[in-house]
Amino acid sequence: MSKGVLVDLTKCIGCGSCYVACKLYNENKWSDKAPVNGKAAKLADENWTVVKEYNISRDNCNALRFVKKQCFHCEHPSCASACFTSALRKTEEGVIVYRSNLCVGCRYCMVACPFEIPKFEWGKAFPVVTKCMMCYFRVINNEKPSCVSVCPTQVMQYGDRDELLVEAKLRIDSNSAYIKHIYGENEAGGTNWLYLSDVPFAQLGFKTDISDKPAAAYTSRYMSLTPILGAAWGLVLTGIYFINKYRKKNAAEKQMKANDSEGGNNA
Amino acid sequence: MLNDISKQKWSFTITPVRLILIAISLAGFALIAYRLITGLGIVTNMNDEWPWGFWIAFDVMCGVALAGGGYATAFLIYVLRIDCLKPVARGAMLTSLIGYLLVAVGLLLDVGQWFNFWRPFVSWGHSSVLFEVFLCITAYTVVQILEFGEIFTERVGKKYHNFFKKIMPALIIIGIMIPTMHQASLGALYLMMDGKLYPLWWSPIIFLFFLMSSFFVGPAMVVVESSLASKAFGHKIETGVLKKLVRIGGWVMLAYLVIKVCDLIARGKIGYLTDGNIESYLFIAEIVIGIIIPLIICFSRLANNRAWLAVFGVLTNLGLIFNRLNVVVTGMARNAGSLYLPAISEVIISLSLVAIGALVYLFVCENFPVLGKETHKYAN
Amino acid sequence: MSEREEREIDGSRRSFLKKTLGTCLTVGAATAATGCSDGNVSGGEGWLPEQYNIPGNYPVQVRGRIPIDRGNPSITRDDRKCILCGQCAEVCEKSEAVLFNYELPLKDDIPCIHCGQCTLWCPTAAITERDEKESVLHALENENLHVVVQTAPSTRVGLGEEFGLTIGINVESRQVAALKALGFDSVLDTNFAADLTIMEEANELVKRVVGQIKAPLPQFTSCCPGWVKFCEYFYPDLLENLSSAKSPMQMQGALIKTYYAKERNLDPQKIVSVAIMPCTAKKFEAARHEFNSSAYITGYENIRDVDYVLTTRELARLIKIKNIDFNNLPSASYDPLMSEYSGAGAIFGVTGGVMEAAVRTGYYMLTEQRPPDALFNLTPVRGLQGVKEAVLQIPNVGELRVAVVTGMANSREVLKRVRNGDAPWHFIEFMACYGGCISGGGQPRSALPPSDAVRAARINSLYTADEKSVKRLSHENDEILEMYKIYLGEPGGELAHKLLHTHYIDRSMHLTAKKALA
Repeated sequence: MSKGVLVDLTKCIGCGSCYVACKLYNENKWSDKAPVNGKAAKLADENWTVVKEYNISRDNCNALRFVKKQCFHCEHPSCASACFTSALRKTEEGVIVYRSNLCVGCRYCMVACPFEIPKFEWGKAFPVVTKCMMCYFRVINNEKPSCVSVCPTQVMQYGDRDELLVEAKLRIDSNSAYIKHIYGENEAGGTNWLYLSDVPFAQLGFKTDISDKPAAAYTSRYMSLTPILGAAWGLVLTGIYFINKYRKKNAAEKQMKANDSEGGNNA
Repeated sequence: MLNDISKQKWSFTITPVRLILIAISLAGFALIAYRLITGLGIVTNMNDEWPWGFWIAFDVMCGVALAGGGYATAFLIYVLRIDCLKPVARGAMLTSLIGYLLVAVGLLLDVGQWFNFWRPFVSWGHSSVLFEVFLCITAYTVVQILEFGEIFTERVGKKYHNFFKKIMPALIIIGIMIPTMHQASLGALYLMMDGKLYPLWWSPIIFLFFLMSSFFVGPAMVVVESSLASKAFGHKIETGVLKKLVRIGGWVMLAYLVIKVCDLIARGKIGYLTDGNIESYLFIAEIVIGIIIPLIICFSRLANNRAWLAVFGVLTNLGLIFNRLNVVVTGMARNAGSLYLPAISEVIISLSLVAIGALVYLFVCENFPVLGKETHKYAN
Repeated sequence: MSEREEREIDGSRRSFLKKTLGTCLTVGAATAATGCSDGNVSGGEGWLPEQYNIPGNYPVQVRGRIPIDRGNPSITRDDRKCILCGQCAEVCEKSEAVLFNYELPLKDDIPCIHCGQCTLWCPTAAITERDEKESVLHALENENLHVVVQTAPSTRVGLGEEFGLTIGINVESRQVAALKALGFDSVLDTNFAADLTIMEEANELVKRVVGQIKAPLPQFTSCCPGWVKFCEYFYPDLLENLSSAKSPMQMQGALIKTYYAKERNLDPQKIVSVAIMPCTAKKFEAARHEFNSSAYITGYENIRDVDYVLTTRELARLIKIKNIDFNNLPSASYDPLMSEYSGAGAIFGVTGGVMEAAVRTGYYMLTEQRPPDALFNLTPVRGLQGVKEAVLQIPNVGELRVAVVTGMANSREVLKRVRNGDAPWHFIEFMACYGGCISGGGQPRSALPPSDAVRAARINSLYTADEKSVKRLSHENDEILEMYKIYLGEPGGELAHKLLHTHYIDRSMHLTAKKALA
């Protein structure tokens, strides 16, 4: 059963407790380059979650909205399927975890992630990739992730993804203020972090052109076919090789007989 | 003949061009040391928006594709038995070997935990295309080293020469099978970038384009190489042979063009060509320079002219480099939301790898019977 | 076929089995080890990212915190120091009735009344005032500028605590000496403007009571900028009840660039007006768009009445930065013209103090008689209770019913009654900070969380100052009387209105007040 978090952006007041909790729990340093809050908030190697500020127009009024950003923990994670050492993996709880000692640092996960979540320690001599791991140790001990547990306005609700989806549908059906869309229900094949908003998601920096088909599906099909195709290709090559070899040999022998002369043929 | 070679003295002629190459290599070594000490952030212009930059685009993507000349020629000569191409076989395969070794160095420099390079052997990410690429490139490099063993043992460790000669057929078949797989897989790496890579380049069959282009760039590479080698070593390959090679490449190229256009139409993205944005111009430029002009040369009377064949080779190679840079850099720019230009140090390191490759090639050609072995035989 | 091959075929059954078995085992072990077989990851079960294998020092109790806008003019927070203890949210919600007193989603603002109580409650000092001492230092270094400073009633009973002195000790003269040592060109006392506020506010109250101005009763005090913003947010319908008189700081500021400049022959544009306040909301107040009355009088559009507000804590830091030995400073006295004060002005910093000062002068204004002794120790409005009430008998007028509220959470019930029209009072004093300005958000953090003992010590100190004063009535302040005579005219007059009165802004559109609280 996939664990997930339902984020109701209408309840966020931008206090930033979540990113402080994240820093405290994961013992990440505070970054000087990448702010954790404000309009320039940016996920970075040391920022696994940030709260980005948006001043937008809603019903002809200015509205202040905050968006918590972190790994979406996809149902079909591109990063994990891109990782060639299994340093990134999806656990049975649906959490995408990362094990840095397996990582080679190729950054294919960063290129592959549709949400551009994994970040890299560019300033280090032996850098690794970093990203939110949903406080995996807490999750397996039946605790909420640290950011969820600390939120003073209960923006986030932690639970089984299926139940959260039911809850989310209930909320958007019972309140006309919500945009009728659960971000993460189908995006990239579905994510374990689900978002509700009263402002169009596109205005809050969410990528809205993400295909519902998980990108990992393309490669899994490709990868399942590759060994068979590769082996078949090898057989074909061998076949042609020998056919041609004997054809050439026969031709050469015929010629040899015809010419009745010496001369090697080492084709 | 073998005895003749083994009695030669080791030599390495120093010419002005080689001095320049040595200088570039040394500059590269210094920068490489700096990169290894400080990490990637200072030496390169890569960042979180641009996790892959010039090194992946040029060192790896272009490097592997250009080094593909080896498997393409091996396929034509040893499997299809087009014997007249034999004179270029060793040259092409040597370039290929050096190319792959440099790709490996380039990759090691690009990854963060380079000392962890062996991890994929024990911790399999078998869902990853990159895993296949990694295994294939490693395997192929080993195979190529063994293949080179045949040349090497003509001079050093001669008692093993027969052994290498014996295993050559197997090596050659494996050495064609594996690159076919990973050339395609390098393209398949981008299968995941649906929505991230610009639609003109992204395609569900992008692996096929990578495979085909890596195949037709083989003949082009051989043409360029042979004209360079003919200058450096006074060794000439018959125009007829080259033309034949180019024609084979040309047919694959034509198929590539047709499939590409059909793919664009089938996906409904053909309209992107006329968008008039930077991507559309670059895509058209890539196709015109790298495909259409070479095709015209290939299938016209120009193909009888050595100089034009060289133009074919250069343009095809440029077109391929153009294509790979477009996929890795230009095509991803709109999604990244920022621009990426490689840092000077990034480019110098890449160039130094090329320079090192060229120096090794020159050294090997001077000291081993790479070029002209078969021609000697034919002369006999 | 060679001999060797024949031999192989001959005796090969055992070796064939051996080889097959060996291959199967190797392949099997490899697939198991790499996890190929069951599609699972390699490394086995119970696998954790290595970072989580090390016990962290995550605090046991984490409770979230208040939101602070990055553009908040009063307070700021250093995230690195935050431990998520939740104290700020506790005081903001429970004591000041701001946090969670509005519905979500937010509108276009993070509601904040800038009271700064969170800075007092924050155990790690992650939340602090927005530091402006650098700007003040910069102004002090500029020879061309005339830097005037005013000090609030409460800072003198708090500043000493920053230098290890007894809690609540009155360091008025040392504070003046320190400010002079820092290089301020003129040190004035906001107590002066406190007396002035009483003149205007009591005058307004009298006029409301006798019906000379058409404005509702009860009249609310307006000297606390936190309270004013609270009222603007949550009770826009009661803004008419707010006294139009400015706060003492703004009165002093407006006069510094007009009256003071004129009397001292100074160019108002070259005056920098600094205020030392026990309050973080004063930073917000000074920045309020409308507080540039001196611009209308002088014609210089860009000047502000008060340029910089420093909290008591910032002043202490300033003194420490400049290596001034505060505890051994010789005493000094305020510069004349706008510094004289009565005991009534002195107790402005105490909850109930404004009320006590106002009724003393109000009594005089209504009856033209010296108020009775009871009004010099008005015990019903003294003390730390959240809501205090008093009924005064005023000859020939009747009963004057007053109330004193401290801490915005305590205001809700009172304001509800006002809104419902069943409020018996004529005059209500509101102070956002519990205990009044002496426990303001800019005061030294002498007890964490602020304790009643500290508050009481500071309060006693101010009441003692009142008792010791020769004059204990605002309308006896000679400098004020002189100023009215030569500059302002009369209380509530035209120029007084321009310089000393203000208007309020309905801020209810910036939040959705919770209905249950209304």
